[in-house]
Amino acid sequence: MTKNSYLFILFLILFSLFSIISSLFIGSSSIPFSDIFDVLTGHGSELHQTLIFELRLPRALIAFATGAMLSIAGVLMQVLLRNPLADPYVLGVSGGASLAALVAMLLGFESAMITSSAFVGALVSIFAVFVLAKGKGHWNINRLLLTGVVLAAGWVALISFVLVISPPDKVSGMLFWLMGDLSYDRPLGPGLIILTIGFVFTLPLTQQMNVMIWGDKQACSLGVNVKQLHLKIFFLASLLTAGAVSLAGGIGFIGLVVPHFVRLIIGNDHRILVPSSALTGAILLIWADMLARTAMAPMQIPVGILTALLGVPLFLYLLRRSQ
Amino acid sequence: MGIKINGLTLQIGETQVCDSLNVNFECGESWAILGVNGVGKSTLLHTLIDLESKTSDVIRIDDMDLTAYRKNRKLLARKTGILLQDYEYNFTCTVIDAVLVGRHPFAPQWQWNQDHDISIAENALNIVGLSKFRDRTIDTLSGGEKRRMNIATLLAQDPTYFLMDEPTNHLDLHAQITLLDMMKSHIREKNRTTVMVMHDANLAKRYSEKTLLLFGNGHWMAGDSEALINKENLERLYGCAIQTYVNNKTTVYLPG
Repeated sequence: MTKNSYLFILFLILFSLFSIISSLFIGSSSIPFSDIFDVLTGHGSELHQTLIFELRLPRALIAFATGAMLSIAGVLMQVLLRNPLADPYVLGVSGGASLAALVAMLLGFESAMITSSAFVGALVSIFAVFVLAKGKGHWNINRLLLTGVVLAAGWVALISFVLVISPPDKVSGMLFWLMGDLSYDRPLGPGLIILTIGFVFTLPLTQQMNVMIWGDKQACSLGVNVKQLHLKIFFLASLLTAGAVSLAGGIGFIGLVVPHFVRLIIGNDHRILVPSSALTGAILLIWADMLARTAMAPMQIPVGILTALLGVPLFLYLLRRSQ
Repeated sequence: MGIKINGLTLQIGETQVCDSLNVNFECGESWAILGVNGVGKSTLLHTLIDLESKTSDVIRIDDMDLTAYRKNRKLLARKTGILLQDYEYNFTCTVIDAVLVGRHPFAPQWQWNQDHDISIAENALNIVGLSKFRDRTIDTLSGGEKRRMNIATLLAQDPTYFLMDEPTNHLDLHAQITLLDMMKSHIREKNRTTVMVMHDANLAKRYSEKTLLLFGNGHWMAGDSEALINKENLERLYGCAIQTYVNNKTTVYLPG
């Protein structure tokens, strides 16, 4: 079991490296493999150099980071709410981020401003859910879920309002953002930092998560500080979601489908599940994004459409199989 | 040693569970807690290991205040284990993996399940008669089989104090007796303590030498089952007429 788990993670690491490298020479203008080698050793043409190092590599890394963040956040939300249908967006974090991003677009800000505004929107949303769910009483998971779902509905209404009042020339860009899209120039550094922080702080919680899926009382009786664990999971999941949404908009289905998919392969040990889901999500998003920029080239499709198109049949298949 | 409760006053909403309860669950003893539905039997059981509770300063486990375990929750989990009324089964797994969860208090963060833990879990499955279900997924089990799996998880945890909330729930007659016999021999063998919330006064009298009665107005009685479980106390406890039958020197209590 453990040996197989290590082999599975090793396979995922190698496959994600392969995916990143593949994404360097697959595109609307394909670069032959020999030229890639030249570019990597610093002897390629200037055009290819720019294409690979300034466009395709950063984009692949953003896809990697976003896919990994969404998948870890998905695992965390499913454990926190103990609901296999939970995804990173269920508590409205993405709604707050989207609204802030759209307002920034409406005001005509640059892309870096849009990203940071989305991040601030996500943080506001996290804070609102946390404070409102707490209320006067103690923190309770059902209350958290209901508060999050209702707030998410509120964000959707405001987002629709912004779309309605926006000039037509801006709406298309906004829709791209809402559906989840990696084609803009995004700051890569913060994304990788959030992913690293999220991953490093999630790993030590994974053993306790194995116990928490049996219920709070059982976890408590087996030596887990449940209240503290809830808070840690909530903030880590929210932070990772905020990072992902700010980088790539509302990419759907990765956070829902990937954890399920990986559970079916390697089981419920979260010590393996978290890293495996992160890598699987990263790989899936890299390939989906390659498809998004080549399928109808030169036109780009928002990658969120493709993840949903791939995710719906995959999820239905898994559901049928599990019956 | 033992669980010592020294002046515990407990209230849920309007219900007074117990008023300055003094009772010691000593090593090797087996206790039954009896009372009507909603009187707070489960709450009392949970309070014994609730580190967040405001009343935790009147409870001592193995000569340490309960509050002192806040710094070392796994230590408490190695001493006390609880069988809950309900568990959540949102994520499926194999029966053996479910039972291995009971080894959590003994496992360092990054250690995978050791052969030692696996053999303890397999032994627990054997005791409850679920060995052949070892690699089945838990969603294929019946209610009674799940109950036995929960008991195996507690056996794998192997605490000194077994707190059990209606352990015979969902079990057929034969399985009830097998379980209670097993718990009895387990205690004798290892000097463990059981505290069981029960609804069957006959089983309580037969399997627990000590009984705690909760009457629902804060009033309580604790002592030897032989002395406490009688017609008068049971009528007062359940608020209904009780008939007694004597069979082979054993008194059987029936409602009606």
